[in-house]
Amino acid sequence: MANPSAVCNGHLHHHHQKQNNLLKSGIYKKNGITKGMKKNGISNGTLYKKTFIEHFEQAPMYVAVLTFLGFGVGTIFGYLRDFMRAWGLEKRNIAEEREQQKDFVPLYQDFENFYTRNLYMRIRDNWNRPICSVPGPQFDLMERVTDDYNWTFRFTGRIIKNVINMGSYNYLGFAETDVNALKTVTIELQKYGTGICSTRQEMGTLDKHIELEKLVAKFLGVEDAMVFGMGFATNSMNIPALVGKGCLILSDELNHTSLVLGARLSGATIRIFKHNNMQSLEKLLRDAIIYGQPRSRRAWRKIIILVEGIYSMEGSIVRLPEIVSLKKKYKAYLYLDEAHSIGAVGATGRGVVEYFGMSPDDVDVLMGTFTKSFGAAGGYIAGKKDLVDFLRTHSHSAVYATSMCPPVAEQIIRAMKCLMGLDGTTQGLQRVRQLGKNTRYFRRRLHEMGFIIYGNDDSPVVPLLLYMPGKIGAFARRMLGKNIGVVVVGFPATPITESRARFCVSAAHTREMLDTVSTA
Amino acid sequence: MNVGVAHSEVNPNTRVMNSRGMWLTYGLGVGMLHVVLLSIPFFSVPVAWTLTNVIHNLGMYVFLHAVKGTPFETPDQGKARLLTHWEQLDYGVQFTSSRKFFTISPIILYFLASFYTKYDPTHFILNTTSLLTVLIPKMPQLHGVRIFGINKY
Repeated sequence: MANPSAVCNGHLHHHHQKQNNLLKSGIYKKNGITKGMKKNGISNGTLYKKTFIEHFEQAPMYVAVLTFLGFGVGTIFGYLRDFMRAWGLEKRNIAEEREQQKDFVPLYQDFENFYTRNLYMRIRDNWNRPICSVPGPQFDLMERVTDDYNWTFRFTGRIIKNVINMGSYNYLGFAETDVNALKTVTIELQKYGTGICSTRQEMGTLDKHIELEKLVAKFLGVEDAMVFGMGFATNSMNIPALVGKGCLILSDELNHTSLVLGARLSGATIRIFKHNNMQSLEKLLRDAIIYGQPRSRRAWRKIIILVEGIYSMEGSIVRLPEIVSLKKKYKAYLYLDEAHSIGAVGATGRGVVEYFGMSPDDVDVLMGTFTKSFGAAGGYIAGKKDLVDFLRTHSHSAVYATSMCPPVAEQIIRAMKCLMGLDGTTQGLQRVRQLGKNTRYFRRRLHEMGFIIYGNDDSPVVPLLLYMPGKIGAFARRMLGKNIGVVVVGFPATPITESRARFCVSAAHTREMLDTVSTA
Repeated sequence: MNVGVAHSEVNPNTRVMNSRGMWLTYGLGVGMLHVVLLSIPFFSVPVAWTLTNVIHNLGMYVFLHAVKGTPFETPDQGKARLLTHWEQLDYGVQFTSSRKFFTISPIILYFLASFYTKYDPTHFILNTTSLLTVLIPKMPQLHGVRIFGINKY
């Protein structure tokens, strides 16, 4: 397995380091203290090979008060408008049932729609914007206007060109239409066509899939891998195949919906630990092992820890060394979802496992998607050969879902070969380095300008905190006015005081683009 | 736009009152209400205090004990649809700090109002009934109870 001396060291010092953790870095997320592991000089050396700096700065109190006032004013106006709509003083723009159906028992509770009706509709023009070019570092937007305050849109027919793209997960810049780069993809397209029309277990396994799986396994340094057609479906279809009733899932607070859905579908018991908080995880592990299953007190059949490599809303990186030492101590399994981190972190782009300098044998199930860094679609699960062989027969996706289509597989193959340097150039490594440079530069500039940024210093996902509901709409519109496309999120997808704009830095961004964005 | 896309909190309404700055905003809101009432020339000080108390309790009753469900769709399949906000707080766990704070604050307001109205009988009756409407629904024994079927669905 892994290097034995590292394991011994991890065990010996682990307790000591945790004590230091509690004393020095204060308690858990979001208390305004920089969680700087570098401050624990002695105990840090064994687990973390380089400094792990994550910030979750808190805004001053007046910002929180103003945020709540903003929501309060919005709520009061919402009630006022609802009242006017109910009494016919204002036009009702939302869908209504037919006259004959008004006496029926209602299908939906109208209060559940309150937020959508009154707050979301006002700033709805910042989401679902149609684009009409490849989502590279710049794209073209179709212009749309609204005549009735965002209830309906119409396209003017104009296209806004060259909008800087700060929202796509194009980390390594592989979303490109350069004919030379896509030469192999077009050849495969001519050869295989676009559709597979079959599942993996029937007729859907092509030689392209075998080639891709071998390449993925080589890239990650594991024994075997299996690829699936859809990234979300990889999680939600495979977790039920791996765990079932009588198993325990320990999942991070901020896990993605696909992991949550997979966990719920599996029928296992789910316990949630605070985000990236190792004390919370250890407490849950201890309680699980000591007390067993809820009423029968039997031992759990399996305990599996679900974490992500980079959390897309926070920009934080998982504390992998600590989790691995915890998992070894308590004999649990680890499922690592590297959707955002594969290709984006690590010296050669091999994900968080490489970023922390650990061996991929430590993680039981390595999962990732090709949608983000590789500019394609689909997901993979990699690990030991026994695991992957089990999934080939038992995965719901292998039995019922169609497999990945060949041109997409070829795109991933070419991107991965480029990244590994197998195509003879150093372009892959250059892209990874460029991404690292862009990330550090962008984060530093925003930090200098005084914005509050969440997350690890090395993560290409940069959430910029906006806080007030009014600012969400204003920020997104202003950015569009300056030809920059951003993604904004607010309550209830984030906690109520923490609405944010999320930037995704890409290797394809040039320094001028980043400068333009920061000064905008 | 969907609830719970970035975190596995099933019902964010349960955590709203625990958020940083919520208690302060609430205190400032009550303070502002009182100052506005004091600045109306027709109201004497006792009347202003009683009005603050009554309006505050009315608002608290409506928003915490009358309105049911959540203003957004939650992935908990409607478990919270028939629950008032008070019952949703912290998923029904009693005696958490938010619950204690919101139980104590109308009591403090009541003390202040009784003092400033010089314990006048009419004001006393008004203030006490108003306090009771807001204190009784907060008792843990009344969690999920709907008297006479009022506000049941």
